[in-house]
Amino acid sequence: MTEQWVTFAKLGRADLVRLAGEIDLANAPEIGREIVRQTGRAGAVVIDLTAVSFLDSAGVRLLDALVGDLDQLGTPIRLVVGATGAARMTLQLCAFRDDLLATDLDRAADELGG
Amino acid sequence: MTENGGGGPDVTQDLRVPWEEDPGDLYEHAPCGYLTTLPDGTIVKVNETFLAWTGYTRGDLIGQRRFRDLLSAGDKIYHETHYAPLLSMQNDVHEVAFDLMRADGERLPILVNSTLGRDPNGMPRVIRTTIFNASERRGYEKELLAARRAAEASERRVRVLQQIVADLAAAPTGAEVADAVVRAPGPAFGAASATVWLADPDRDQLAAVAGTESTALSGDDIPRGSSRVIAEVARRGDLHVVGSLEEAREHFPELATTMRRTGRATVVLLPLTAAPATDPAAVEVLGVLGFDFAEPRELTDSELRMVRLLGHQAGQALDRARLYDDARRRETRAIFLAGTTRALEVEPRLMPRARMLVDRIVPEVAEWAAVRLQVGPAGLVAEAGGPAPDPERLAERIAQVLLDGEAQLTDGKEFDAECAVLPLVANGRALGTLALRTGPDRRTAAAEALFLRDLADRAGLALENARLYEQERAIARTLQRSLLAGDLPSDPRFAVETHYRAAAHDLEVGGDWFDAFLITPDKLAVVVGDVVGRGIDAATTMGQLRSAIRALASAEAGPARLLERLDRFVERVESARMATVAYAEVDLSSNEMVYACAGHLPPLLAEPGGPPRYLLDARSGALGSRAARQARIEHRTQLVAGSRLLLYTDGLIERRNRRIDAGFELLARTYAGKRDSPLPGLTTSIADLLVGKEHADDVCLLCLALGTEQRLERMIGADPVQIALLRKDLRGWLVAHAVDDESTQAVLLACSEAVANAIEHGYRDNPLGQVEVVATVSPEAVSVRITDRGVWTSPEPGGARGRGLQLIRQVMDQVAFDHDGGTTVTMRRIRREARR
Repeated sequence: MTEQWVTFAKLGRADLVRLAGEIDLANAPEIGREIVRQTGRAGAVVIDLTAVSFLDSAGVRLLDALVGDLDQLGTPIRLVVGATGAARMTLQLCAFRDDLLATDLDRAADELGG
Repeated sequence: MTENGGGGPDVTQDLRVPWEEDPGDLYEHAPCGYLTTLPDGTIVKVNETFLAWTGYTRGDLIGQRRFRDLLSAGDKIYHETHYAPLLSMQNDVHEVAFDLMRADGERLPILVNSTLGRDPNGMPRVIRTTIFNASERRGYEKELLAARRAAEASERRVRVLQQIVADLAAAPTGAEVADAVVRAPGPAFGAASATVWLADPDRDQLAAVAGTESTALSGDDIPRGSSRVIAEVARRGDLHVVGSLEEAREHFPELATTMRRTGRATVVLLPLTAAPATDPAAVEVLGVLGFDFAEPRELTDSELRMVRLLGHQAGQALDRARLYDDARRRETRAIFLAGTTRALEVEPRLMPRARMLVDRIVPEVAEWAAVRLQVGPAGLVAEAGGPAPDPERLAERIAQVLLDGEAQLTDGKEFDAECAVLPLVANGRALGTLALRTGPDRRTAAAEALFLRDLADRAGLALENARLYEQERAIARTLQRSLLAGDLPSDPRFAVETHYRAAAHDLEVGGDWFDAFLITPDKLAVVVGDVVGRGIDAATTMGQLRSAIRALASAEAGPARLLERLDRFVERVESARMATVAYAEVDLSSNEMVYACAGHLPPLLAEPGGPPRYLLDARSGALGSRAARQARIEHRTQLVAGSRLLLYTDGLIERRNRRIDAGFELLARTYAGKRDSPLPGLTTSIADLLVGKEHADDVCLLCLALGTEQRLERMIGADPVQIALLRKDLRGWLVAHAVDDESTQAVLLACSEAVANAIEHGYRDNPLGQVEVVATVSPEAVSVRITDRGVWTSPEPGGARGRGLQLIRQVMDQVAFDHDGGTTVTMRRIRREARR
């Protein structure tokens, strides 16, 4: 059901979560559940938001909860977002920490792997 | 006394015998016994005759014994209860029968007469008794009784047999004949139990089918060639009586074992035989009746005659039942074949048809059946019933049958002897196999060979037809999908939304299509059409017409000329004749539309601020129609920005149970109700509302939204899924008004949050709530007003909801919340150009 918005892969030692399309109130809860199911015991998580064309506060709520959970487990996490675009705008407006955000996927994975 | 004068003796006086008659000698040697006893029965005087008959001496009796002491035990009681009271009441008794016990212990049947003498005071004084020897008389009586009993038994036997014969005449099946026969030996001959075995010619064995004791029906079938007594009797065809356990032990040890176990002393085995009227010598054994007795029993000649008669009657009944069975089975089979052929025709698709076939075969014909078809890479299997035979052995046999095309009606190996495999042949090719297991309670596949071959032939043909149909359908579907999947043009000046829905039962591809293309950069053509017929022909014709329209449309021609050219086209492509087309060209620079309908349902136009109306001008006949008007006409009309034009095929409004004008009315009303809905998803939701899930026909819709409204007004339902559709609509509108990218993102985010807030909080208890969205654009700014009629609750600061409202405030320049019977959010974003 959620494949059109979220897919999973491995990137080095990290679990890669690729989000795409419009993430909003209608699909965010379901996507959140799928991510938790797939990355439960990951050593590190990279969330790729570069293909996200829209992100609302429900999407922000989902990312916020995810970051909170992983921080508590001590699992490193990075959000990869384009330099501009809808996702970058929303996350910046919500003042996400700079250390969470990255623009380059491979660099983010390297940082986590090291 | 003159009557004596005839010279005859005067019987009033004793005749004088010529010798001296000694009264003492007369007493002692009279032809009967005399006893004189006291009232208590004590013997005081007895004559010689009595002593001679009984073997007692006078000394044994006189003063020693009472009369009753000489009687048998039972008669002593009778003496006390009848004889003595009767005597004391009447003073005499006559012809009372007793058994007297002789001195040697033997019984002597006697008849007794007694008189009681009384003294002058009337008190009993003496009993005088005469005793007659009744040995012979008693023998006669016994014989009489035996004869009567024999007659009764014979009569009962005859009655029982008459009843059985009547039952046999009414028994239509072998099983019912067996049930009737098995009930005879009990009442007719006093048998303890009885069992009937019937011959099964298919399997050359005898099977126990009925018994008075269920234990006898242990289900062990006896091969006719067996050494067992049942088989032996069936082979010999004559009655056989096993008179004792010893006799059984000598010839049939297994029978002796059974007799010992069940406590039987005599067993009678009777073949049930029938002989054709034309050849009485050709006796056929159709079954065996066995019955037995707990005591040794010798059957009389008359009983044996009756037993044999029973065997013939039952045999004839079985023969009749067999003929009746054959006729009925042939009829049932014929009905089954015809019914199956008809039923398969109803289901055109391959897998359901194979499924239906095995479901009809089980349990009507077999206990397990499987159809295997060599279709597709993995093949198809439809299976029903069970248990399935050994899979490896089955696979071997199927391979063999496919190789040589010969049916295998039995495995010939022990473990799956009942399993038959037949080829399914059509057009000289083995399409697959039909395997079935008839089961032990049915006729074997070999016995049903004709029927099964007929069934496999019909099934093969039906399945091959389904396979061809399936193949064609797949090709047609692929072709149609590829034709409808082409990219539709898009432009800020217009938007096109389409929907195609295949018929619910997805039987055959229809010939409906839609298309939209740019003839020139400023001229847009939209088409919806419908080709007559279904299936692959309709799909290819549709593709040809679609291409023809794209090729023939030109900047100069216009709709009427295009239709004329299509008329010429269908002269060459006959399958396109009578196709209908609704065609419109729109000048995107002037919003002028020219349209024409060739036999197609009229387009439905909704303009801002007015109710939708059907465009009923420019109508002419279907393509290539010979009966309709030949002249192709077109109509020119000016559209205003924000107009929406709906083209559709007849599947949308035509229902068998609804008049067409009611369909038009319903569509217009539905379309009007949706006029404020975002264009994305509009055609789908109209199809949902009008045709639902169970529609019989294909449906095609195309909606063209023209120009850009200055003011965007939308009404959406309280469903989070609607937010994305609104965003798509709004994005198109903002782009059309050349609003800068940053402001577009901001307005989309703010609107999403405001609508989400209304749905998630305002309407949290009301899923049917509506959210109104009104957006206007000026050179300076974009203004949006979002209104709901839900309940307002203040957000907790820093909560999730607070974040949404915070985002709105961050991205918009002015935001105002008004709570008055709901919530109205009014917000404004200044465009980049105006910020400088």
